[in-house]
Amino acid sequence: MNQIWQMLADNFSFLLNGVLTTVGLTILGFVGALLIGTVVAVFRVSPITPLRVVGTAYVEFFRNVPLLTLLILIVFGLPDIGLLIPLFWCGVLGLVLAGSAFICETVRSGINTISVGQSEAARALGMSFGTQLRLIILPQAFRTMVQPLVNNFIGILIGSSLAAAVGVSDITNVTQQLNIRYAEAVVLFLLSGAVYLVFALGAGRIGSWLEGLVSTSRIGSAR
Amino acid sequence: MYDFSRRGLLYVAAGSTAAVALAACSSGAPPTSTSTSSASGSASANRQISQDAYDTVIKGGPVADGSVVSASSWATKIKSQGYLKSGGTTTGAIFSLKDPTTGRIAGFDIGIADLLAHYITGGTDVSKLTQISQTSVDTRETMLQNNTVDIVVATYSITTARAQKIAFAGPYYSSGDSIQVKSDNTTIKSVTDLAGKKLVTESNSTAITALQKFVPGNTPTLFADNDSCVAAVEQGRADAYILDEAILLGNAVKATDLKVVGTPFTTDPYGVGVNKSDPAVKAFVNTFLQKIFDSGDWLKLWKATVGVYVEAVPTPPALGSVAGS
Amino acid sequence: MSADAATRVLFDEPGPRGRATIRLATIVAVVLVALLVAGAVWQFAVHGQLAAYKWQFFTYSAIVKTLIIDGIGNTFLATAVAAVVAFPFGLVLALGRLSTQPVLSKVSTAWIEFFRSMPMILVVYAFLLALPRFGVVLPVFWMLVVPMILVSSASTAEVFRAGIKAVDRGQWEAAQSLGMGPGLVLAQIVLPQAFRIVLPNLLTGLVSLLKDSTLGYVVSYGELMQQGKELVAYYHYMIQTYLVIALIYVLINWLLTRLAAYLQVRMGTRKAAAAPVAVDLEPAQ
Repeated sequence: MNQIWQMLADNFSFLLNGVLTTVGLTILGFVGALLIGTVVAVFRVSPITPLRVVGTAYVEFFRNVPLLTLLILIVFGLPDIGLLIPLFWCGVLGLVLAGSAFICETVRSGINTISVGQSEAARALGMSFGTQLRLIILPQAFRTMVQPLVNNFIGILIGSSLAAAVGVSDITNVTQQLNIRYAEAVVLFLLSGAVYLVFALGAGRIGSWLEGLVSTSRIGSAR
Repeated sequence: MYDFSRRGLLYVAAGSTAAVALAACSSGAPPTSTSTSSASGSASANRQISQDAYDTVIKGGPVADGSVVSASSWATKIKSQGYLKSGGTTTGAIFSLKDPTTGRIAGFDIGIADLLAHYITGGTDVSKLTQISQTSVDTRETMLQNNTVDIVVATYSITTARAQKIAFAGPYYSSGDSIQVKSDNTTIKSVTDLAGKKLVTESNSTAITALQKFVPGNTPTLFADNDSCVAAVEQGRADAYILDEAILLGNAVKATDLKVVGTPFTTDPYGVGVNKSDPAVKAFVNTFLQKIFDSGDWLKLWKATVGVYVEAVPTPPALGSVAGS
Repeated sequence: MSADAATRVLFDEPGPRGRATIRLATIVAVVLVALLVAGAVWQFAVHGQLAAYKWQFFTYSAIVKTLIIDGIGNTFLATAVAAVVAFPFGLVLALGRLSTQPVLSKVSTAWIEFFRSMPMILVVYAFLLALPRFGVVLPVFWMLVVPMILVSSASTAEVFRAGIKAVDRGQWEAAQSLGMGPGLVLAQIVLPQAFRIVLPNLLTGLVSLLKDSTLGYVVSYGELMQQGKELVAYYHYMIQTYLVIALIYVLINWLLTRLAAYLQVRMGTRKAAAAPVAVDLEPAQ
């Protein structure tokens, strides 16, 4: 028992760094995926055909490619086209690319629930595309998107663990490395499992709270 | 549905047909290297382990007398089994590497296992002598204790800690960790130059513990396999790659932009792992090892595998000379 | 079509000036995309990765066999075995969670919530690194497939739960008013309908399982990624091998997803504007 505490004490900063790396990967991945996913969603419904093609190809590729393969291509393939990115950011990039494909579909579904009348009224009032998107479309779409977005977030959290297989020192990787040095497998795995559990359940809670916040007004949605 | 759903499927069908047609173009296995062999006849000119040379060495190894085998219940069991169950890997350069197109595994480690299998069973079909089960640093001891495998030959370093759970026959090879850097690197010449540099190594190698001792405070980046580490150095992600010298020399042969610097800064004695409960098993394998040391087959195996990449010819180690063996 | 509906939400029908703008923007977009792709390809070539022999490599029948027959074959095997066990298990868990028995419900809920939050690679490492210390070493196939089953059972359970809830309440009431007990109602009326509703989502779950099987790379089970690792260990064509493998995965998963969409239409359960059943099957990765 003392050995376990000793190990945890000696490696506390190592473990903490692992947790922070996981959190960093997830949050940066999610924010990036949200931004890019929305852009790609606009591409997919745009009247400009090449953009639609690019958007669809993008989603089909990044939704169907396994994240592990994508990460390996980013870490070892990108340097061969001149882009040497630090490992942590390779992880973020992989999560952003894969996550944005799923978030794009979420956003698209959300936009679909807005009745056309809303946006026609907005345009009749002379709103620019950006304003229309920002003030009318997205806020209403967001109401239906909360739960799927939470699921996307948890998906990205879980995906961040794959970065461990390409050398990023997230909590999974740290667990594996400490396991090589010490024999305390059970404690280490319970620890990292707890980290993921806490974050996933926490995200679920925040999602429920958000949903409660935004579901009060039902004006204008197609349902 | 997308506008081009049917067109998309059409493209896919066309593409697959084209691919199949292409595949019909070249049959058999691709060449393993496009380099031209030099006329100097030095070890580095021969760039690949020859499967034929390897098979010849195995088939030429000693075969035990019937009485020797029947005196050991372990060997008798293996002989009636028809093959040896060995724990190892299929992606270990130079020591145990599988040719994906033929499924044959060749290397120094698998050679020791094949020679032992040949010794016990006398079989001449080299591809059927040993059955490999994939082992990792964490599963090796348990697989021996459970008798899931008969032996483990996997660049398995002999340590007293491990010797408490299983028994080591040998050592059968003495290796050491060395340093690999880019050819134009002039700052790193030995292990003392490694402080503060970006280091990389394989995620299950003994180099990790070696680095903790020699370069404390520097956590190396760990990748799953040798080629990932090589790519990391070539692409500039890491300054130096630390691993068994023989493997690094093998890398330098294929990757002309890498070189090995300094001399090995650790000594790593490799042993054959066996179950501990019956001491006669360890004695049996040690007898076998001494036999191939004396008969010259150990050296022949070395020349056919490690010797393809390393020039300095070694002498067989002394059995039992390392703590834990 | 949903594409058109969404387009109309965001954009007005273009007039003559709009159409001209769109034409201009189309040309600009095509040029930009072409430049990007050309730039990437050129950089690739500069680093020597476009050398013919590195790509002709994949036309050799022995390599095709290794990748397609061994790699894809084993991928399918692992995925199929995992699906065959996980899907029924998921149904049982969903029923358990919906049951009125508190113990059963709590245990099922706990299992589902736990494994939905667990990364599969962590479960795999637990089997690969932790269990051996207790003397349990599974064959590599099961070291991959058992974690796949554990994780997939949880997400499948949620799929089934949503499907069961999506069946119109009136069905329950009608059946019960006819005197059918809850078990019979489930088996004869609700489950068949729920199953038809979630079939496309189950296919999406299958795609998820297929992507999970790439962790064979970590346990050294001979599925497609592991075959890639062995090919790279022997031939050293790293980028080319993993790029080809990525394309193979995209192709297979794309076909499966198209199948799911096709089934959704055939089953007539596709609703035009709203998100279908709002079951967002999150990828385990």
